[in-house]
Amino acid sequence: MSNRARFRCDEVSEQRRLPAAPSLQPQESPPRAAPPRTEPPIDIYTSTDIPQPSIRPLNVYAFDPSLGNFVGNQMVTQVAYEPLSLGPVGERFAVVDYDGGQRTFYKPVDLDDPRLLMSGGLPPSEADPRFHQQMVYAVASETLQRFEYALGRRVRWRTRLGDGKPRAPKGASRRLNLFPHAMCEANAFYSPEAHGILFGYFRASRSNPGRNLPGQTVFTCLSHDIIVHETTHAIVDGIREYFMEPTNVDVAAFHEAFADLSALFLHFSHKEVLVDTLQKTGGRLFDFKLKSETDVASGSAPVIQSQIGAENPLIALATQFGEAAGRQCSLRSALTTPPTPQGAKELATKTEPHERGSILVAAMFDAYFTTYSRRTFDLFRIFRAGGGNLDKSDLPAPLANRLAIEASRTAEEFFTLCARALDYCPPVDITFGDFLRALLTAHLDYTPDDPDHIRDALMQAFRLRGIVVEGAMSFSEDALFWPKISNGRLRVPGLVFGDPNGLTKEEKDRNGDVLRTYAAENADLLGFDRRTGEIAAPSFHPMFHTGKNGKLYVTMVVELVQTMRIPFGHGIPGTFPMRNGVTLLIAQDPPEHDELPEPRVRFVIPKLYKPEREERIRNFYIASGMATEVRAQAGADDDSRFRLNFALLHAGV
Amino acid sequence: MAKVRSKVQSRVRSKAPRAGHATKRAPQRGNGSPKRKPSAAADDTPSQSRALVKAASGLRVRMYRVGFGDFFLLSVPSKAGASHILIDCGVHARDLGSMRDAVTEMAKDCNNHLSLVIMTHRHADHISGFGSCSDIFAQIAVDRVWMPWFENPSDKKAAAFQTSLAAMAAHLGQQFRARLAAQLDGATQEMLAMAENITGGLGAAGVSANEKALKVLREGFKTQPAHDYYKAGDVAKLPPDLEAAGLTAQILGPPIDDALIVQMINKNQQYLSGAVEDQDSSEPVKPFPDAFRATDEAYGSEAFALYGPDQIIRMIEGAQPDALAAQAVAADKTLNNQSLVILFSFGGKNLLFAGDAQWGNWENFLYGGAYGTPGHTKLTQKAADILSKIDFYKVGHHGSANATPRDAVMAMRIGCVGMCSTQEHAYNQVPREPLLDALRKRMNDQLARSDQIAVSDDEQANPDAGTLPSAFTAPTHKLFIDYNF
Repeated sequence: MSNRARFRCDEVSEQRRLPAAPSLQPQESPPRAAPPRTEPPIDIYTSTDIPQPSIRPLNVYAFDPSLGNFVGNQMVTQVAYEPLSLGPVGERFAVVDYDGGQRTFYKPVDLDDPRLLMSGGLPPSEADPRFHQQMVYAVASETLQRFEYALGRRVRWRTRLGDGKPRAPKGASRRLNLFPHAMCEANAFYSPEAHGILFGYFRASRSNPGRNLPGQTVFTCLSHDIIVHETTHAIVDGIREYFMEPTNVDVAAFHEAFADLSALFLHFSHKEVLVDTLQKTGGRLFDFKLKSETDVASGSAPVIQSQIGAENPLIALATQFGEAAGRQCSLRSALTTPPTPQGAKELATKTEPHERGSILVAAMFDAYFTTYSRRTFDLFRIFRAGGGNLDKSDLPAPLANRLAIEASRTAEEFFTLCARALDYCPPVDITFGDFLRALLTAHLDYTPDDPDHIRDALMQAFRLRGIVVEGAMSFSEDALFWPKISNGRLRVPGLVFGDPNGLTKEEKDRNGDVLRTYAAENADLLGFDRRTGEIAAPSFHPMFHTGKNGKLYVTMVVELVQTMRIPFGHGIPGTFPMRNGVTLLIAQDPPEHDELPEPRVRFVIPKLYKPEREERIRNFYIASGMATEVRAQAGADDDSRFRLNFALLHAGV
Repeated sequence: MAKVRSKVQSRVRSKAPRAGHATKRAPQRGNGSPKRKPSAAADDTPSQSRALVKAASGLRVRMYRVGFGDFFLLSVPSKAGASHILIDCGVHARDLGSMRDAVTEMAKDCNNHLSLVIMTHRHADHISGFGSCSDIFAQIAVDRVWMPWFENPSDKKAAAFQTSLAAMAAHLGQQFRARLAAQLDGATQEMLAMAENITGGLGAAGVSANEKALKVLREGFKTQPAHDYYKAGDVAKLPPDLEAAGLTAQILGPPIDDALIVQMINKNQQYLSGAVEDQDSSEPVKPFPDAFRATDEAYGSEAFALYGPDQIIRMIEGAQPDALAAQAVAADKTLNNQSLVILFSFGGKNLLFAGDAQWGNWENFLYGGAYGTPGHTKLTQKAADILSKIDFYKVGHHGSANATPRDAVMAMRIGCVGMCSTQEHAYNQVPREPLLDALRKRMNDQLARSDQIAVSDDEQANPDAGTLPSAFTAPTHKLFIDYNF
């Protein structure tokens, strides 16, 4: 589905516009202003209102300015239309351009200015901060829309900053800050404390500038990938409160990998970017197809990584991305490491979050390429059967176009799959293995039939990289799906799913009570030890989606988390929070005999207390220095030290 | 030499001795004449095998008190009487001004001849003495110099990395200094110390102090020594006199991590570059012409509906040091992890010098890979073997918590002894008391701190550090502490 078509369905209604907006759109006010009272006949079939636009086109860089003359680097992104005030400030994002290095605000862009509305905003420019504001807004909005489309619900931003800390102001769950020039620093990071994303700028080296001009100012807010990456961090943090606690070696790596995946798949879903690359290097892609065709067609293990050289344009794109983002240089090595037993050793030796994360990225990409190959196999055969020349280095434009369509469709599918998998992850202490199980279960749940064997591709790609699943009987589909709760065995009476557009305050309060009571009463059944602590329900999100059979499915994702305070022991003062939790997926089935059945628990995805887990987390905290690191003026039991600090994770070194 | 070691080790029984009693006596009895060969000594617990003690007799570790920095002299009995190994010579934060006295003392002690000089890593608190006392070192003959592989000048990647790291640190130092000039605060001071530990601070001629020290290590001794650049697993080449004396050495760290280096250099092209550039121009980068400047009034009310302009300014400005500090911490850690980790064995005694190795370096040694990944949750047999047999441990990183993993402490032989060069109030929580307590428990209280003795007649011992444990001696009651095997 193209963006254009997708956003048509969520047109903004007249009532929901912000009060500031009408004055900015003079052409729309006359029809509403004063219909002459004297004319009685009311025509309900004709409207003279100007149709509400569903999208707002905005110019952005497809990569970053350093690829200036690269064809396809400038593109137009389609953002859902909303009235914007100066900033731009919309419903979900507020771009506030305060420069901490220069201690000044910059002039905000007015994207509702008629001149800019006509031209898709300002043209790409490094010299104008207002274009930077526009690009940050556009790319972050697009990312958020993709996530919300995939998840089938609104994403809310984190508002809780920890026990005993003031919550973010009311309304903060809807709107996130974007600071395009926050600091003079080669860094960009999501900061829950600032309730936003801080982008830095810096001067490129004079002696060793890389792709940039020597001594030029480089803006992180102009890198498409960095914006998506950071926005994804914010989204994940909003969805899963406790994923920020690095309780094992995979957690930080998972954050990085997930953000990279979303940036990469978002890239690949832009057909415009792909066509150009495919066309230019078509011959080589074609070569690769020829070589791998038999293997892949047989549906056997994906051996993609060993088959594709760096020449493959898609790989080239992926690694180029890594370089542009500056901190994902290990991506290249991960993508080109053959998935052999030797390659699988990487997982045991890489702990640096980006390096480790790139293994997960490589696994996902392996599956992606495999699926893409399976889907385009026929096109190449048709091409050859029609007398297409295999030795020519150029691909005919229509074929390149078709290939690009397949590649971008597959990328969108994978993006959606990744996003949905979040809901199938346990609420705490995530590992790569958990993510694989979540991916497979989510895929099975949404698309039970799997003609292109995506699940198989995923499973093999993970297996070949040595990503194992704790507690699974075997590495087969059946063993890796989260087990389903037998039909109707667990029911949560009283849970309300509300309107697809969101819950009211009362409904939320009611659900919170229902879930806490439910958890307390069924603690044993769910696997909690009730004596060790209260069970909280940090989040519950109803979701609505239409299945392939046309039925409407109504479900709710619920996190139940229990926090135990455990002393470090071993002569180390203080305690650490040990969290146990389950994710519940609860379905509301349609009425039977005119009566709504009680909501039914479909999945219980657990991460429960085990002495080994306690020991592992304790050791990890001690080993990584978090046990002793006492930040200035913070108490010894301040839990913020157990949270990932993206400023540190992304810093230049 | 591995053969000798394994012979000794294979005979060791695991029976735990009541070692508190034993270690106390061991050094005092160490001067008797050897009766048995070292390999015949089955048990390495002193009380049960006097012979072994004898075999190592004459072996001595001397720790000089210079402040927050490492300065160790290991003396090995040899044909010529004694051969000497210098392990680091530096001080940084909390310099007590005693470096010159200590180096003079050391030169006298070794009769202007060092068989081996080891630089564990290039932090100022491990090498500054070479620079500041270059005239004394110019009088000392040195046979061999060991450095971590990062210092190998023929390794282009490593050299580029070290250069960019130093340049970045210099730039960070400047920024922290500027910040301190505006407002004095402890956190920034600590960051500054971290950054300048990498460069040593800028000297008069614009050459950083560390560069000067490194130059001495490369070519500033009386004789031109051979240089070795080691990584974990390398076979160490000892000078002939030490080898003849029966000393062996095993290199346990730093791990070779080519990928990391490549990655960091790649980053350098894109990312570090920002911090590296422009040491000459101190004016901040000005991204846009003044015409684009505005005040918060340029925005509508909607922009500040959640957070007021003052709040936004506060949040952003609050976030600034974070990023800089992150770089400083990361750079500090990177350099500490370059530390050479060496296990010396002599006459059945094992001495572990870990430099300032932090987690990444230890991890490789202890777990053989990334901790927590499958197959890497327990100590490797090799690490457990080594740690269960050590007799002496140079406490890493001046007793900071990030430099001696708990698993390592728990695996150390009960009754080994330790030395920790430290000085309080250089960094927050260094030395870290709970760690020292854990070590003391392991060592039956035989853990010496450099601040347990006086520097000179003016500067006395740190009363909070306690008294020097009985296993150690301070022959002159100041400046240095000895441990005699």
